[in-house]
Amino acid sequence: MTLKPSQSNLCRSAGCTLTGALSVTTHVRNAVSVVHGPNGCTHHNFSLLHATSLDNDDIIVPSLVSSGLTETDIIFGGEQALDRTLDAVMGNDPDAIFVLSTCIVDTIGDDIGMVCRKERGVVVIPVPTAGFLGGSFQNGVNNALIALAGIAAPGNKTGDRNTGCDRGKILSVNIIGEKNLEYEVDGNYAEVSRLLSAIGVPVNIRFVHNLPMEQIALLGAARLNILRDPALIPVGEYLKKRFGIPYLPSFPSGISSTTAFLETVAGACGVECWNAVADEQVLQDTTLAEFADLSGSTVSFENIHADQDCIRTVRTVAQALKVKIKKTGCRVPLPTTPPVGVSGVRRMLHRWRCTIHA
Amino acid sequence: MKQIALYGKGGIGKSTTSANLSAALSLQGLDILQIGCDPKRDSTRMLMHGNFIPTVMDLVRERGDAPISLSEIVYSGFNGVRCVEAGGPEPGVGCAGRGIIATFQLLEKFGALTGDVIVYDVLGDVVCGGFAMPMREGYAQEIYLVTSGELMSLYAANNICKAIQRLSSRVKSRCRLAGVICNAKNQLHEEELVAEFARRVNSKLVQFIPRDRVVQLAELNKKTVIEYEPGSAQAEHYRVLARRIMENSNLTIPTPLEIDDLEALAVEFM
Repeated sequence: MTLKPSQSNLCRSAGCTLTGALSVTTHVRNAVSVVHGPNGCTHHNFSLLHATSLDNDDIIVPSLVSSGLTETDIIFGGEQALDRTLDAVMGNDPDAIFVLSTCIVDTIGDDIGMVCRKERGVVVIPVPTAGFLGGSFQNGVNNALIALAGIAAPGNKTGDRNTGCDRGKILSVNIIGEKNLEYEVDGNYAEVSRLLSAIGVPVNIRFVHNLPMEQIALLGAARLNILRDPALIPVGEYLKKRFGIPYLPSFPSGISSTTAFLETVAGACGVECWNAVADEQVLQDTTLAEFADLSGSTVSFENIHADQDCIRTVRTVAQALKVKIKKTGCRVPLPTTPPVGVSGVRRMLHRWRCTIHA
Repeated sequence: MKQIALYGKGGIGKSTTSANLSAALSLQGLDILQIGCDPKRDSTRMLMHGNFIPTVMDLVRERGDAPISLSEIVYSGFNGVRCVEAGGPEPGVGCAGRGIIATFQLLEKFGALTGDVIVYDVLGDVVCGGFAMPMREGYAQEIYLVTSGELMSLYAANNICKAIQRLSSRVKSRCRLAGVICNAKNQLHEEELVAEFARRVNSKLVQFIPRDRVVQLAELNKKTVIEYEPGSAQAEHYRVLARRIMENSNLTIPTPLEIDDLEALAVEFM
């Protein structure tokens, strides 16, 4: 059976499709995420989202409701249970309802789309999230973002053929697919925001981070979409097709990439960036100089969680600082994904300093 | 206690054969329980004089978590044959296979699986694990295939052989192929064809039941042939089947055919 083969070499962070989608949908304000499945699927994710937000100093009680399927619903079909749950959720007057599927309901073939199409006076958005079909956490994130983007009316595609810059759109960018569960989610946004301010480009919307439902309609207004990382390229492509907005596939990785980031964003948005780039180069140099005390030390990168992009980025930082990399070196902490920009690298180097001088 | 299950292509006459078999066995003075394992719920209808009895799944659907008693799911039919229908979801929704599993669990809980013979009448195709439930440990040890000489019917029977072969390889599994019952469509050389098929899958033709109008007449009168026309030749065929099944000790692990071989076999007897 290879209709949807599961990758055999997934690391444990590949996770469940449902959890990935919930990390997005629970960040839409005053919306309810209905998990169509047994209670356990909801409980498990509620605990995870709640605990993670606490860990990030953010007290969010994720708005999750289970359709609470039992064996009887599985035998006779769970569509009625979902319908009842949606009616009950309507009592809380939400701005939107997301309906996320689970393994069991996709096994028995519940027609979730049909239940969601019933008129209820509020937008009800189905998101396919059955994990056993081979999807990962990231597929869940992508599915949820694409489902949400479908609410916003498609925009025109009259971009400037030479620069790609669409002056019919508002001078602004969208931030796409922030990792809402990562510890540094706010720090990373602050770094990108700092860079954008330097060239006078405001953020249109954070799609999706603590987002009011009505702002989704503005999604097509920006001149550029900045993806959190390249795993979101399918989302970037979808948005490009739907709204005619080009995308930048990633936040800046490491310290030296911030200047290129400024140039690319400025080009796409049709603004100047010479001064900002010059200032940024100075900041890169002074930041590395702050950590000159690490020069000459030997470190090792033994971190099962860090991805190859991260190792590559961090290696460049180490070389710039004249820090040697050896298996026998001091084992320094690495982030799971590449550190974002100057501030991401600074936070990492602070932790290295603590470890090396410990 | 003897537990037997009848499997075969949809519409081949499993329910008619099962009901007449149960009726004939009961006339031997045996305590019989017939369990219809098909959402169509018509396995026991002729034993119940045309009545559709409430199914186990109907009660589960209506009651939810409220208790169900044994007397609400077991109905006494012709000559005291005890009748149960598993039932299931409406066509096109839910999971009928899980319904069969839930029914078996309920019957176990009630201690309902008693008597001299239990006859399981199962859905045509073993489409998922649920419909293989009657073949599992503790249930039917003897599987009978009901087939005609038509290729599609033999094809279905061959597929069921695959299921039996797979299940019988499990530790502790006692499920075996007990024989083939030919419910004829009055094809040329039909008996010889089905007998040869049975031999090739490492089994035997247990009984050839010719096509007879009395079956339709009995059905229109909402009775089994055994009850409607006990003196008919057809009734005698069912009684012979009942006797042979009680005497049968030829339990085998089947050797299913490749599709090409199966087709070649059908061509041989054309």
